[in-house]
Amino acid sequence: MTHTYSELIIDGVLVAPIVSYAAIALLMFFLLRPLLHFAGFGRLFSNPSLAELSLYVTMFGLLTLFF
Amino acid sequence: MQVNGTNTIETRPLVFAGFSVSSWAFAIRVWLACLLALYASFWLQLEVPSSAAITVAILALPTRGQGLEKAGFRLFATAIGVAASIAIAGFFSQTGGLLLAVLGVWVGLCVYAAGMLDGNRAYAAALSCITVALIAIQQIDSPQQVFPTGVARGAALVIGVLAVAFINDVLAAPDYHPVVANRLAVLHRQIMSYAESVLRGETTSVSVTASMLKEVTALRPEIASLHTESSSGTARSTAARSAMVDLVATLFLARALAMLPAAARPTSGTIIQDEHRPDLLAMCRGRIESELLRKDAEVRGSLDALRNGAHPAVSHRAPLYRCRRIAAENGVRAAICFTLIAALFVTAGWPTTEVALSLVAVIIGLGTTAPDPRKFTAIAILATPVSCLLAGILRYFVFNGVSEFPLLAIGLAPVVIGLALLISLPNPLLSSLGRLSLVFTLAILAPTNPQSYDPNVFLITCTLACLAAILTFAAQILVPPLSSNRRLELLLREARSDRGGLGVARHRHLTSEEAAYHDATRVQQIAAAGGADQSVLDEAMRCFDRSVAVRRCNAELDDLQDGPLAEAAEIARAALARRDAGTVLTAAAALHEAAARRSLPADSACAALVLSAVALSPSASESIGKRQS
Repeated sequence: MTHTYSELIIDGVLVAPIVSYAAIALLMFFLLRPLLHFAGFGRLFSNPSLAELSLYVTMFGLLTLFF
Repeated sequence: MQVNGTNTIETRPLVFAGFSVSSWAFAIRVWLACLLALYASFWLQLEVPSSAAITVAILALPTRGQGLEKAGFRLFATAIGVAASIAIAGFFSQTGGLLLAVLGVWVGLCVYAAGMLDGNRAYAAALSCITVALIAIQQIDSPQQVFPTGVARGAALVIGVLAVAFINDVLAAPDYHPVVANRLAVLHRQIMSYAESVLRGETTSVSVTASMLKEVTALRPEIASLHTESSSGTARSTAARSAMVDLVATLFLARALAMLPAAARPTSGTIIQDEHRPDLLAMCRGRIESELLRKDAEVRGSLDALRNGAHPAVSHRAPLYRCRRIAAENGVRAAICFTLIAALFVTAGWPTTEVALSLVAVIIGLGTTAPDPRKFTAIAILATPVSCLLAGILRYFVFNGVSEFPLLAIGLAPVVIGLALLISLPNPLLSSLGRLSLVFTLAILAPTNPQSYDPNVFLITCTLACLAAILTFAAQILVPPLSSNRRLELLLREARSDRGGLGVARHRHLTSEEAAYHDATRVQQIAAAGGADQSVLDEAMRCFDRSVAVRRCNAELDDLQDGPLAEAAEIARAALARRDAGTVLTAAAALHEAAARRSLPADSACAALVLSAVALSPSASESIGKRQS
């Protein structure tokens, strides 16, 4: 079964689903940041920024897959 | 007092062809991000792929946090600019001259906003002006295209930002917090060594203390960029900001110590001589010394928190001082410059001048973020022909009809890497020239798919670009940006009026450290406008001392206003409002006596009153000036 994506419509302007998913994932990631800091996420990796980017990509992928 | 000494091991950086390895890594990152942005834009068939490459050139900063912060403000400002473009085009598209006047007003407003902000916030204000220039002005004859142009530009910008973020993350662009921590630690050592020299009774030039204050406050925009660096970025940014604000407070306390012995001399005529004075001065000195030690410990704690990525024990805000009058005058002048050039183009009736007019707004907008707008325009005059030449060589000698992406990548490499190496140089002139040349080269080359090789279009674009830079410079000769002397006059006038108490009530919501930092940013601007003029620096520092001392005193008296010493505190506040050193000292003695009678602690308020009396005393100030110069 093919997954269908619905477009966000802001006052008649269609916004591509990928933009909505990217923005929601970014918002979720920013909300998660204090938790990551508390858990010491950065200390677990040699390149923390790449690990954070990977986390963002994972969240974006999961959102696209399940919602 | 022991200064915290840290042993730093000086390592000689590896150098290749005159540039350090970190500079080469930065240049290669810029080239790769540029290619990635162009490739993604071609693949997504965006209308303006060159905007994505230009975004990469603009976000070309050596560390990841700085690039990401600028990217965030770039996207935010583009959204504001697109909305303003739609509003301006919607309301004024058929109004002829009025449209140009409205665009001039928008340019002026953006320049005003840029003048009231600093760092990337000022850049965002300038970019709001630039976005309107690139969308509304370029589509001046086809307002129905404003929205699609805005969306296309927004999409290209997002691709550029993503390319920079991805390349910086994958290739492990360095973090900025070690650099900030190192600079703060060096400044901490310098300030504590100054405090030690004051305790030893040695003299230090006022230009040295003003320079330390300038260096500390100049870190503000860089500290703000730490926020975006990682998940610990917020904590590091807060820690660095607290350290910076506490360093200003420490420097003030050291200066206060330098003031006291001078005022204690019996020749001082304006301070009332009475039996309590030596006690009060000794108590004031003791309080300042203990506070200095406490501040030293707080700065060390904040620096440790910065290095460990933890929240500091004490958190401070860093309010920025900006002179509204200077920002408004700059805004009006920029609006007049833009309207003059627009009127010239309308009168000339040349075709496709909207490209030149949009470039005029770009130069005016970007110039507001530079220390000297006219110098920036002069660099733009130099950068435009260099960019035209580079773009011409690339287009007609290197590429010359090719349309394959790998060839574009190879052809761009020497220009992009070379100019990025120029950006990485410490010389601000060469760095600005490199950045402008890179941006203009990519704008004039305008890589598209398929690539256009029409020499007619290229020549017209080059001519208009050079004409725009020259006309902006000419307009700035006719209506020059605010001179350093005028800026200095306005800043000193505000500093003097603040000493009179006008600014005290305005900043009641700030702690005394935050208010001191606010005043220190004014000294920074005075030092920037007045150069190394000793008398100007001396007056600026004296105004700083007085306003900070009075503000601290008001804060101490606020703490007493609800207790049994409220009456004495009210008398002291009235004495402070009169700005008379003798009266303030008498009030300090009265408060001290009242507190002693009731066995209540009021030493800190008494010490603050004595310090205010010393700072307000003109003869004491002169003595300090002599002592320090």
